[in-house]
Amino acid sequence: MKKLLYSVLGLSLLFSCSNDDDGTMPQEPLGDYENGFIISAEGGPSSVSYISNDFSTSENDIYFNVNGETLGVYLQSIGFNGDKAYIIQDSGTITVVNRYTFELITTITTGLTTPRYIGFNGSNAYVSDWADPFTTTDDYIAVVDLNSYTVTSTIPVSEGPEQVLANNDKVFVSHKGGYGANNEVSVITTSNSTVATISVNDVPDEMVLDSQGNLLVLSEGGQSWQATGETLASITRINTNDNSVISTIEFATGNHPSLMSYSNGMAYYILNNEVYGLADTATNLPSSSLFSVEAGYAYGMFVKDGNLFLTDASFSAQSTLKVYDISSGTLSESFSVGVGASKIYFN
Amino acid sequence: MKLFYSLVFLCFSTIALKGQIKVDSVQTLETVVLSDVKLQQNNYGFKTTTLKDSVLQNDSKSFTDILRFNSNVYFKENGYGMVSSPSFRGTNASQTAVIWNGISINSQLNGQTDFNLINVNNFDNVVIKNGGGSVQYGSGAIGGSIHLNNKLNFSSHFDNHLRLNYGSFNTQKASFNTNYGSSKFAVNFGFQYVTSDNDYMYLGTNEVNENGAFNNLNFNVNLGYFISENNILKLYHQAFLGERELSGTLNTISRNKYLDENFRTLLEWANIGNHYTSKVKVAHLQELFKFYQNKVLDSYSYGKVNTYLIKHILDYNLSKKIALKSILDYNYFEADGSSFGSPNRSAFSATAIATYKPDTKSTIAFNIRQDVTSDFKSPLLFSLDGSYQFSKFYKIMINASKNFRVPTFNDLFWQPGGNLNLKPETSYQVDLGHQLQYKWVTLDLNTYYIKNENLIQWKPSNSGFWSPINIDQTHSYGAELGLKLNKTFGSHTITLNGNYSYTISEDLETNKQLIYVPKHKANVSIAYNVKRLSFYYQHMFNDMVFTTEDNIISPLYSLPKYDLGNIGISYQLIQNKNHNLRLGLDINNLYDTPYQNVIFRPMPNRNYNIQLHYKF
Repeated sequence: MKKLLYSVLGLSLLFSCSNDDDGTMPQEPLGDYENGFIISAEGGPSSVSYISNDFSTSENDIYFNVNGETLGVYLQSIGFNGDKAYIIQDSGTITVVNRYTFELITTITTGLTTPRYIGFNGSNAYVSDWADPFTTTDDYIAVVDLNSYTVTSTIPVSEGPEQVLANNDKVFVSHKGGYGANNEVSVITTSNSTVATISVNDVPDEMVLDSQGNLLVLSEGGQSWQATGETLASITRINTNDNSVISTIEFATGNHPSLMSYSNGMAYYILNNEVYGLADTATNLPSSSLFSVEAGYAYGMFVKDGNLFLTDASFSAQSTLKVYDISSGTLSESFSVGVGASKIYFN
Repeated sequence: MKLFYSLVFLCFSTIALKGQIKVDSVQTLETVVLSDVKLQQNNYGFKTTTLKDSVLQNDSKSFTDILRFNSNVYFKENGYGMVSSPSFRGTNASQTAVIWNGISINSQLNGQTDFNLINVNNFDNVVIKNGGGSVQYGSGAIGGSIHLNNKLNFSSHFDNHLRLNYGSFNTQKASFNTNYGSSKFAVNFGFQYVTSDNDYMYLGTNEVNENGAFNNLNFNVNLGYFISENNILKLYHQAFLGERELSGTLNTISRNKYLDENFRTLLEWANIGNHYTSKVKVAHLQELFKFYQNKVLDSYSYGKVNTYLIKHILDYNLSKKIALKSILDYNYFEADGSSFGSPNRSAFSATAIATYKPDTKSTIAFNIRQDVTSDFKSPLLFSLDGSYQFSKFYKIMINASKNFRVPTFNDLFWQPGGNLNLKPETSYQVDLGHQLQYKWVTLDLNTYYIKNENLIQWKPSNSGFWSPINIDQTHSYGAELGLKLNKTFGSHTITLNGNYSYTISEDLETNKQLIYVPKHKANVSIAYNVKRLSFYYQHMFNDMVFTTEDNIISPLYSLPKYDLGNIGISYQLIQNKNHNLRLGLDINNLYDTPYQNVIFRPMPNRNYNIQLHYKF
């Protein structure tokens, strides 16, 4: 890992030297937070933590440290595009910062009510928004012009749009269902803003693309207290060209996984603190887990380069970010991160 | 100010070294029929402080501010006018009982009372009792209890009060009270309306308190009638209709709104014999809130609880030295809400109290109580207290008790997460108090130790939702100091009131200080009166508090200490037998101190208020 970093650094030095002749400035580091990953924490207070790729440095509250102000109380997610990061706050604000320095650029407040997640396509961003959470018919996708930072149009969708995954000219939106439960994935064609829907199991949340370019959707399944009653969770594989369902692999009754990440031919999910891997070729769920994690509340997961990153969230004190080596299943690193740490993003 | 602190510390350390404590007051015993007599008669070993008219009728202050500046009670207020919850002695708001004319009015939904839903003008006195009182006042009386009392005056009188108020942030208040009494009949009637834009500046920022406006209407009527010489009927009624926007936080906008509709009705029949008093109380309480995520839309979530209760209290004087008392109490609660369906509960309790006064100097009381509840098992509660008057100047008071806090409707029935296997929180405590009284000076010192078990905490679980469990154990200990001076020189009167508290409250697993518990809290108020002119200054100091459990000191995870001052002046424009007209001016937050009581929720900048009070 370190070697790779050094060689990249060396290369960039060479590269910048060769550029000196053109009279351009040497390649400066893009910012303090360039070579690492970002952990968003819901709070309260909302905060953002940074940990370097080589785990040698870490810093909490980076938005506050850089800008001298807080992010408020309800940080939902962050989206990254170009050299910017878009911090989505449930209360109706998107805070735009430089992703490498975390310096504030602007905020977007008009046209947003209860924004959740963001995806990017060209000069537009697509933001899922619950609108009034108690109203089931007012939910929408806000289309944000990334040049003017304004909401230019809205696309009505069904209840509770959650995660957003943009892929070529399509934007996929999982409808977890807001305060209720839904069972749809919306597919927006960006060229004409038409919406198609795909039915999946109840409470679809996390989405990833597999190596073949198919969409994997993790549906958590309905729980007894919800309007759906107890229903089965599933992983649904969808052909992104024609929106057809390739396969649906269901979980046993009572199992409700909520975290999924994808790396190198394998979808990873967590169930009751056990980590499972579902290969692209598999037709059934794995019968045994890869390893187990220790967490009071496993709230966010990301898999990269043989490591599994997990947030063990506390909402009344600092949370813990844990790094597990997937091949051995051992805990290799542990960091204190923000209150209610939820998502992990590689910068 | 420094001088005051040093004085406070000096007093504290000298007296603490001698190994002792305690503070305030024995109440003058009221005539049985006129008020919550139980409070005054059955708390010999406890610190109780009575806030009288002169303090309560400060027209420009909220109830929260009156208590913050005049008692040991600590408040978490989510921005001015928003949810404001009291706590004592390092405990929390659901461990603080609020008692209206002898009946607990803590919300059955969250176990707390929001002091911004209570209008202080409606009460004739407020008594603050430090320390546990579950035996007499039921669930939640752990850190202490706050008693809101209406008095009925059976003497011939007829007077009216009209108050008009205008202040910063377009705050307007109007109230009218009428009191009428004869030897057989007494009535008081009150009506208040308050409205405020509440758009104060967030000091040190460019922001103002957006979405913080509130208004409320309060109606109060109390009636008393002697049916015969030995029988009296009393009716208390209170209605509160409030609408308030909910302020956002620094950098977070809010569109939320709350509506509250609370009604309380209590009918009491007292029968007074030579050696006994028997009282039957029947009451209905309604609490209703509606929460609008977006105030411009019609959709909302809501919660509603109707409480029906019947209570019998018998006081029996066995001899001149021994008094016995029994309380039988039956409550039926029915709830209805967006997040918990329509559950109901019932609770029955039986209490016995024996008081023994072997001589004029000493009193000992033993109290015992058992609750039987439909959803969980309640522990046997007890309280033992006593006082001993060493001399004319010095009295010692002591108490030990076991108290509880039952799970609320939210804890039991919230969907998802509600846990029907919860047990009540239990608490043990001891408290030692001293009172020194010399001419126009009263000094009180109390020290206490409280241990809490099975504290109910909502925790996230791997099933994806939060659920309450009986998990934490905490303890708290500390000292409270109270000082009162009242001196008249000719036409000049000076009064001084000071309170200081030192509080350690820790999680027994982590040994960290609990969140929102200041180690040091102090206040002092000085009033000066000469002829028609009155002047006051009040000051409070609030130590830093942690806002997360890991005790990190940082602008994101703790709140700094602060000092606040208020000042006011008033003049009697008309002062005669039938007419009194007073004009007053208050300046609140005199030093323009930026401060927060809940993190990211700034409190108001310096503000002004002008009042007219016409009594006729």
